[in-house]
Amino acid sequence: MRHVRIRSTPDQEGSPVSQNRQPFPTRQTWTRTALALSGWAALAATALPGGAPLRWIPVLLFVCLGPGLALLYPRPAPLRPGARLEAAALAAPLGLSLAVLTATALFLAESFSGTAFLVVLAVLTTLAAVLPGLPLPAATRGAAERPRASPGERR
Amino acid sequence: MPQHVPAQVEGEAEGSAGPAPAPGQQAGAVPAKAPRRVPGALRPRTLLSRLPLLLAAVLWTVSLPHIGFRSMGEYGLLDRLPVTYYLSLLVLTAGFLAALRRAGTAPWWPALYCGALLMALKGVPAVLYDSERYPWASKHDAVIDHLLADGELRPGEGLSGNMSAYDQWPGFFTLNGGLVRAFGTDGATSYLNWAPVVLGLLMMPVLVLLYRTFTEDRRLVWSAVWIFQLANWVGQDYLAPQGLAFLLHLAVLTVVVRHFVRPGSAGRLRSRAYLDPAAAAVPPPTGTRQRAVGVMVLAPVLVAVNAVHQLTPVMLCVTLLALCLTRRYRNLGLLAVAGLIMLAWDLTMGRPLFTETLGTLRDSLGDLTRNSRAGYAGELTGAGPELAGRANILMVLGLAALAGTALLLRRRLVHSALPLLLASLAPVPLFVVNDYGGEMLFRVYLFALPGAAFFAAAALVPAAGGTDALRAPPAVRRICAVALPVALVALLAGFMPSYYGKERMNYTPPAETALVTRAIDSAPEGSLILATTGSFPKALHRYDQLEHWFFAEQELPENVEMLRDPAGYLVARLPAGATAYVILTRTQDIYSAGEGLLPPGGFTRLTTDLVASPLFDVVERTEYGVVLRHDSP
Repeated sequence: MRHVRIRSTPDQEGSPVSQNRQPFPTRQTWTRTALALSGWAALAATALPGGAPLRWIPVLLFVCLGPGLALLYPRPAPLRPGARLEAAALAAPLGLSLAVLTATALFLAESFSGTAFLVVLAVLTTLAAVLPGLPLPAATRGAAERPRASPGERR
Repeated sequence: MPQHVPAQVEGEAEGSAGPAPAPGQQAGAVPAKAPRRVPGALRPRTLLSRLPLLLAAVLWTVSLPHIGFRSMGEYGLLDRLPVTYYLSLLVLTAGFLAALRRAGTAPWWPALYCGALLMALKGVPAVLYDSERYPWASKHDAVIDHLLADGELRPGEGLSGNMSAYDQWPGFFTLNGGLVRAFGTDGATSYLNWAPVVLGLLMMPVLVLLYRTFTEDRRLVWSAVWIFQLANWVGQDYLAPQGLAFLLHLAVLTVVVRHFVRPGSAGRLRSRAYLDPAAAAVPPPTGTRQRAVGVMVLAPVLVAVNAVHQLTPVMLCVTLLALCLTRRYRNLGLLAVAGLIMLAWDLTMGRPLFTETLGTLRDSLGDLTRNSRAGYAGELTGAGPELAGRANILMVLGLAALAGTALLLRRRLVHSALPLLLASLAPVPLFVVNDYGGEMLFRVYLFALPGAAFFAAAALVPAAGGTDALRAPPAVRRICAVALPVALVALLAGFMPSYYGKERMNYTPPAETALVTRAIDSAPEGSLILATTGSFPKALHRYDQLEHWFFAEQELPENVEMLRDPAGYLVARLPAGATAYVILTRTQDIYSAGEGLLPPGGFTRLTTDLVASPLFDVVERTEYGVVLRHDSP
């Protein structure tokens, strides 16, 4: 079988071959594990006294970034230019959206508590960390540059 | 894949990537006379990037203890900020300009400067204030308290002053409820002053991503981010649904322009021969199925925008509609999904306010003068508020002039970045629809800002790379080399009065908060709280158990009539058998005078008359205000 080597771009992480042929290289596994555990670490931090920096800092970081990063990581290879910035930038909006929906659903179900809020987000984050990154359209296979449009199609 | 060709940046060759090869010399070859450097020694240009940041941080920190926020006069914080503070901002600007020259190879430095500017501009109240900044933030704190106390949402309860609307679009408050419980704090008070800094930091990478979709010139990207921050004086980044909803709106817009390009629509916008040298080629196109998956990915964000805020989904839908005017982004499916989600929310959770607003649309539709006015009714009064008002207008005009210059002079960039222009113009027609409680002007400005900042930056950062035919002529580049620093300093000078000129209305002393809290805590359930305006701390504490009447939030002639006999005016309008508390505080005095709700001296006259009136009993009086009680027969 012919070994196909995919050329890396400047924005690509790690070895292009390992990224495409081995689904779980060590670095990726570590990152995914860290993301999967981040919610549970935030939940554990709530055992500390209220308002303590060691409590609110991990909680804030997790709620703002944890679910979003878990959803977006790993980006499908080969990475588009700006793919890492994209994951970093969209992590907070995505994560905060999930947090908004989780908290609102808990209130609607009249079962809201701080623990329930974090547990639901932690479960979602763990699941998202195990699954592949969200398939943003232009980042998925087949979204490569098409041949230039014919003059008749131009506008 | 689109071509990734960073535009040539002045000084880029001397950045961290190392010296550029001489003409004719192969890349990677050792130059004949490479300058010898001591290992680890800082190069002059690197020093030029780092030193100003350090110096600005020192100046800013040194200035903090000298900021007399407790003794603000009519100019708000402006004349209470020491010279070192203003120097720190100027040094930051100089450092940013130096870092900008190497933005192509060392992008972290402009990023650090932008973060530092955000902290320097908006971090002062967060670090210094001993109370909640801005009475409306304290109102939102009250909503969070109310939700946490109830543990459920009651969108149809019909609370006084339309306060049930917060249960109809509760997402921001439920999220903060979760944070308050997880942080283990008593309420959002402990962190709400940090909201502008946190929201600004979360927004910055989204802005960068949005701008990088339309340009590969990093100087243009960071200049636009810098200008966005200076022009974002509008004060919608406090602890409020709008700040979060705007972040989500920007994220959706960014995903759409990067991932929803229709096949065969780019045409010459991928040709380097046509594109502005700074422009990025159109992102790769995506098929129908891929875009359908993209809609599903965006759906939670779209639902969250609807859960958080009532106006932003409308802004989002008109933005998506405007994007549909281009062949590149004609995504009717996405528009339909966004519209359906909005409609579904409005007809279920948001039904009470939605139907009420529809009922008033007949009156407000087409009333451009009323819909585009700022605030309730009055004119800004007093040196600080008047200066702030003038600075606001100058900032809008200045930004519009800069963006307009780019529209005229960089038409190829405008062509490729047309979606950003349309997204900025899309909210403007909403003036036709509704005044949004005197806020529509500010909201339209906010939603237009990302595009306006980009095009304003495009007017100031000329194209450096490309062919001779496309590159800006040397004379233009020389003018811009002067115009960019001048414009950034001018915008900075405009930001300060715009943001801090009325700061005396926003800082509320803890003793005033305590007075109001005591008064409201002692009011029996069902009592009526009277105040000139709702703009004072803890105004809506226990709002689900009390009724409210902010009696001076009306047209000035009505208030002049009220001042002839305040006690008689108020008592005549109270329902029979009501127990009413009149709370008149220092912040109300400043607000009602500054916003022109009451004529000069009106608040003092009102207070004196009510205190002297036999119809009212004084419950408590301190130097921060007075609480009176009236029991209707």
